[in-house]
Amino acid sequence: MSFRDLFGFALSAVLQNRRRSGLSLVGVVIGVVAVLSLTAIGEGALRYVTSQFASLGSSIVNVSPGKNETTGAMPHGIGGVPNDLTLQDAIVIERRVQEIRAAVPVSVSTDVVSHLQRARRGPVVGATADFERLQHLDLATGSFLPESELDRGASVVVLGQAVARELFDEANPLGATVRIGSWRMRVIGVLRGRGQQLGMDVDEVVFIPVAASMRMANKSSVSRIMLELWPRADQDAVIEQVKQLLIARHDEEDFTLISQDAVLSSLSSILGILTLVVAGIASVSLAVAGIGIMNVMLVSVSERRDEVGLLKAVGANQRQILFIFLLEAALLSCAGGLLGLAIGTLLVAIGDLAYPTVDLVAPVWAVVSVIALSLGTGIVFGVLPAWRASRLDPVAALQGH
Amino acid sequence: MIRVEGLWRTYTMGEDELHALRGVDEAIEDGEYVAIMGPSGSGKSTLLNVLGCLDSPSRGRYFLAGEDVAGLGEDALAETRLRRIGFIFQSFHLVPRLTAVQNVEMPMIFAGVSPADRRARAKASLAAVGLSDREDHRPNELSGGQKQRVAIARSTVMDPGLLLADEPTGNLDSRSGAQVLDLLAELHAGGRTLVVVTHDPSVARRADRVVVMRDGEIVKRLRGDDVSDLGSLFDLDPEDAAAEAASGAVGR
Repeated sequence: MSFRDLFGFALSAVLQNRRRSGLSLVGVVIGVVAVLSLTAIGEGALRYVTSQFASLGSSIVNVSPGKNETTGAMPHGIGGVPNDLTLQDAIVIERRVQEIRAAVPVSVSTDVVSHLQRARRGPVVGATADFERLQHLDLATGSFLPESELDRGASVVVLGQAVARELFDEANPLGATVRIGSWRMRVIGVLRGRGQQLGMDVDEVVFIPVAASMRMANKSSVSRIMLELWPRADQDAVIEQVKQLLIARHDEEDFTLISQDAVLSSLSSILGILTLVVAGIASVSLAVAGIGIMNVMLVSVSERRDEVGLLKAVGANQRQILFIFLLEAALLSCAGGLLGLAIGTLLVAIGDLAYPTVDLVAPVWAVVSVIALSLGTGIVFGVLPAWRASRLDPVAALQGH
Repeated sequence: MIRVEGLWRTYTMGEDELHALRGVDEAIEDGEYVAIMGPSGSGKSTLLNVLGCLDSPSRGRYFLAGEDVAGLGEDALAETRLRRIGFIFQSFHLVPRLTAVQNVEMPMIFAGVSPADRRARAKASLAAVGLSDREDHRPNELSGGQKQRVAIARSTVMDPGLLLADEPTGNLDSRSGAQVLDLLAELHAGGRTLVVVTHDPSVARRADRVVVMRDGEIVKRLRGDDVSDLGSLFDLDPEDAAAEAASGAVGR
């Protein structure tokens, strides 16, 4: 008994009842498409987040005030913490830790920005010249905040794209004066539009020197300090060094150090788990499809009792009959798997074209496992019908009852 | 040689026991042509199934060429059916989706004959029953007589020594029935042992020997030439014989 012959025999049986075979295929197709597209979405989200972080530069460490026990949580902005982070902290860190290229204190507040009759309320970010490089900001016109002593805040402002358009329409804002709260600031640059990035819309923001921001809010503390590491710096060592330095200055660990890498890896693992969960739910539909195949095979066996009886009469043994019917079930599920793969890939490709920002690709592990799973489903759920066929009493089967 | 001794076949239906065979003893020589006759429910088909290793006796012994077959396991029985026995059924039992030549090839698939070899042998077997021009026809494109000839080609393609036919002409008109009987006679003349279950005295008449069964027992043995009328055959009253003839002519 050669595999090819039995394959041909099983194939002829599958093709004999096209409609029924087709219907049982549909279940598998739906299951496979569901798994493929859902994992593609999960994978796409993961890639999106990763690329967003990459655009921020992964060798960035954030220092924020307050002690956070959970490393994955985002630091809070302004809080009444006992020992706030100060400009002096930033200066000391930059000066003392060699592997740090820049320590950028950031102060975030919300205020009304106005020009003539127009006003809008939005985030005002106090930063330094280094912030431009750190965040990969692009200027449409003018320049970013000037290099200067940290505590010397000039009255200048760089506008986000959306803010500039709203306050000035098409007019050139360079050199104009805007009011932020009750302070007058001269516009020295406008950012190129970039859109949403990790929850903060850069287009909606205005940037001013950090000292100016603190003066406006009458604060002595900053929201956080962003540390830019030199390439190939040992991140863990730097974090430890900064930690000791700040503990020495504050007498206690009342701050939190989080690297972008840590945030990224915890986000990745959350997304990864979500993808797995969703894929798991989708594979339930594959199990349901398997039951469909089992049903079809049971009907097929009982309809072809006389054929089974004949196979036995001409000398097929139980193993051979079991194999024939298992092969039939496997053929059904395999065809369903391949068809599902084709349709799923097509859908994912269409989705990828429709949403260019997210890179939709079904991960290889999902493709491989969904094919293996659909094949396995057919075999597992084909066992019972095939076993039944192999155990049929040939005399009764030939008599058709 | 085939020999059965004290063969019983008992079916349990709920609390009742149904004895299809009650202590059958019989010996069939190699190359013999034996007809088994008897009214419906007399156990003749059961006997044929046991002889064909499709059914196992509840009690008794069955020697096929000196080997006790009654004690064999499923696989060995399948192997015996494959190599040593050919079946011919009243309702042909061809696989509808396969062509004539594919139907004939089927036993050789399970025997592991290589595809090229198989095709050649199947064609030769079809040629032997005069159906070379119908190789690629499916069963629904064949007449009843042609179907039965395909089935005969299938039963002989593995060259078994024993051919078993259960009412081979039961579904055929008299002309194709006669053709099929001629074919069977030819195969018998070629040296095969042939056992035919039949209702039809004209079929039985062509056998060397006739065994008459009733209620699971062999009640009469006679030579084929002696089969004259149904009354003498079944040992019935003339009235019952007429009724039997009427029902027997219709089918099983």
